[in-house]
Amino acid sequence: MKITKIAALTALVLGSVSIAQAVELNITITNLTQGNYFTPRLVVAHTDAADVFEVGTTASSALAWLAEAGVIDDAQEPASSGQNFEALLGPADTDNGSNTWHRFGGLVPPATSLSYPFDTMDKPLLSIASMLIPTNDAFVGLDSIEIPTTPGTYHYYLNAYDAGTELNDELNSTRTDITGVGGTALGGYAAPGVAGAGAPPIAPSMSVGGTGVAVTVGESADGTSIGANEVIDGTDGPVHIHRNTLGDTSATDGASDLNSTVHRWLNPVARVTIVVPSA
Amino acid sequence: MKYFNVKILAMTASLALLAGCSGDDGAVGPQGPQGEQGPTGPTGPTGPTGPTGPTGPTGPEGPQSGVAAYNLTMLNLTHGQPMAPTAFIAHEPNFHAFSAANSATLGLEVLAEGGDPSMFINEASDAVEYLDAVSSSGILMPGMSTDIVTLIVPVLDADNLRLTVASMLVDTNDAFAGVDSTDISNLAVGQSMIITLPTWDAGTELNTETADSMPGPAAANAGGGGAAAGFAAARDDLVDAVRIHAGVVTSANANDPSREGLPTSVLDQSDKFDNPSARVLVTRTR
Repeated sequence: MKITKIAALTALVLGSVSIAQAVELNITITNLTQGNYFTPRLVVAHTDAADVFEVGTTASSALAWLAEAGVIDDAQEPASSGQNFEALLGPADTDNGSNTWHRFGGLVPPATSLSYPFDTMDKPLLSIASMLIPTNDAFVGLDSIEIPTTPGTYHYYLNAYDAGTELNDELNSTRTDITGVGGTALGGYAAPGVAGAGAPPIAPSMSVGGTGVAVTVGESADGTSIGANEVIDGTDGPVHIHRNTLGDTSATDGASDLNSTVHRWLNPVARVTIVVPSA
Repeated sequence: MKYFNVKILAMTASLALLAGCSGDDGAVGPQGPQGEQGPTGPTGPTGPTGPTGPTGPTGPEGPQSGVAAYNLTMLNLTHGQPMAPTAFIAHEPNFHAFSAANSATLGLEVLAEGGDPSMFINEASDAVEYLDAVSSSGILMPGMSTDIVTLIVPVLDADNLRLTVASMLVDTNDAFAGVDSTDISNLAVGQSMIITLPTWDAGTELNTETADSMPGPAAANAGGGGAAAGFAAARDDLVDAVRIHAGVVTSANANDPSREGLPTSVLDQSDKFDNPSARVLVTRTR
């Protein structure tokens, strides 16, 4: 009884202190890869009641939109409405109770850094996710770290994950000689092909003519009949550490439309630096 | 004869004992200043363990000498990548001999392309934050540790101390195992810590993996290698910036239908590596 009372009192005191100290963090994201761009970054401060991703579990549709298409909210892609992180978390830049989040726009090119101020609204945990392009469904993630409260500079090294929601065919989605099953276009959410292939910074490094890596054009893993110029989509497990892209060194044939001398990586693929300012 | 010898030896020993006893009471002893506790004896004021002697309280190696010392050794964690002499640099905060997403200094380029750490260390020694640096000698083979090297810094810096380490993977164009300004503050004397090093790409040379662009044995076995294949002034990489190395592509599957490999590469599967590629053990010794 006494112990409970004391605990409650402590919580109250701590609570009032943290309200008084609402801090704006400075978050720097450094792309440590040599050939992959980071799509707009989802930065979320949250409680135990919210989760951006969880290794070993099947990705949410929100994570699939982020990892396959780089989409976080309706403003980026209306077709994602109701399925994206905006639907999962609530409106941006708002105290949604369990979370507050912001989309930092634009791309982070390979071997560059960008810094942002971010108001955590006193949520205790921080998660970050951003798609690596060009890939099928790779993303860099920071999963629910405890936000430090002592003023100082803190570094975190981030791994690349595979969302598991798309087969890693490594096919250039700007190609017209191949399609998804039934003639659908490649690229983006729920379609085969790597996202971002047509974007100006990506296009020069992409090749064509690949026959597919984790799935081969004209073939399906389960023996389903598909057209000779079609490639089938599928899933490849729960969220897991990405096994890296394969790529090849041919601009016109080989298995992959990625370049093995450009688009591979080793972990860590990003560094996040958090500066907690003095009160 | 035998007996006689022993006798002489015994006499010599007692003479020595007498001599040794002569300084028992040091400066005020009856027989002068050279004894065990005399002014210049082992425990005398200026003797080896005396107040101002080498290991005495205020001597150059003593606890009040004003310096902290750190022993370091690096272990090569790769399967098949020999590593060049390793640069170890102790410094104050806010100095970066290299940093992610920034272009390499000339010293880092020379270290990462050719294996020589001397210019990298010279650059660091120009910084106001610089405290001390040392490099290990010779090539460090996979699975082996460097000799133990020592860094000495003012004891006042021990509570806010940074360590930078860099060593080339010699069967690559410009890969190096390294850590930039890692915090080794507040180690107590006798305490150790382990730092794991990822593999960085200096960003100063395109990763062609050819015999004439890498200095190590893999290139030498293919008719190249050596100093001539090391440093080249041109900066022709994908991006002129330090980042995590993507790994060597090798020539595996270069000519099969997948076309995965790099036809110009003289490397094979045995040259591949993953992170971390090295481990540093730091022990504060005083």
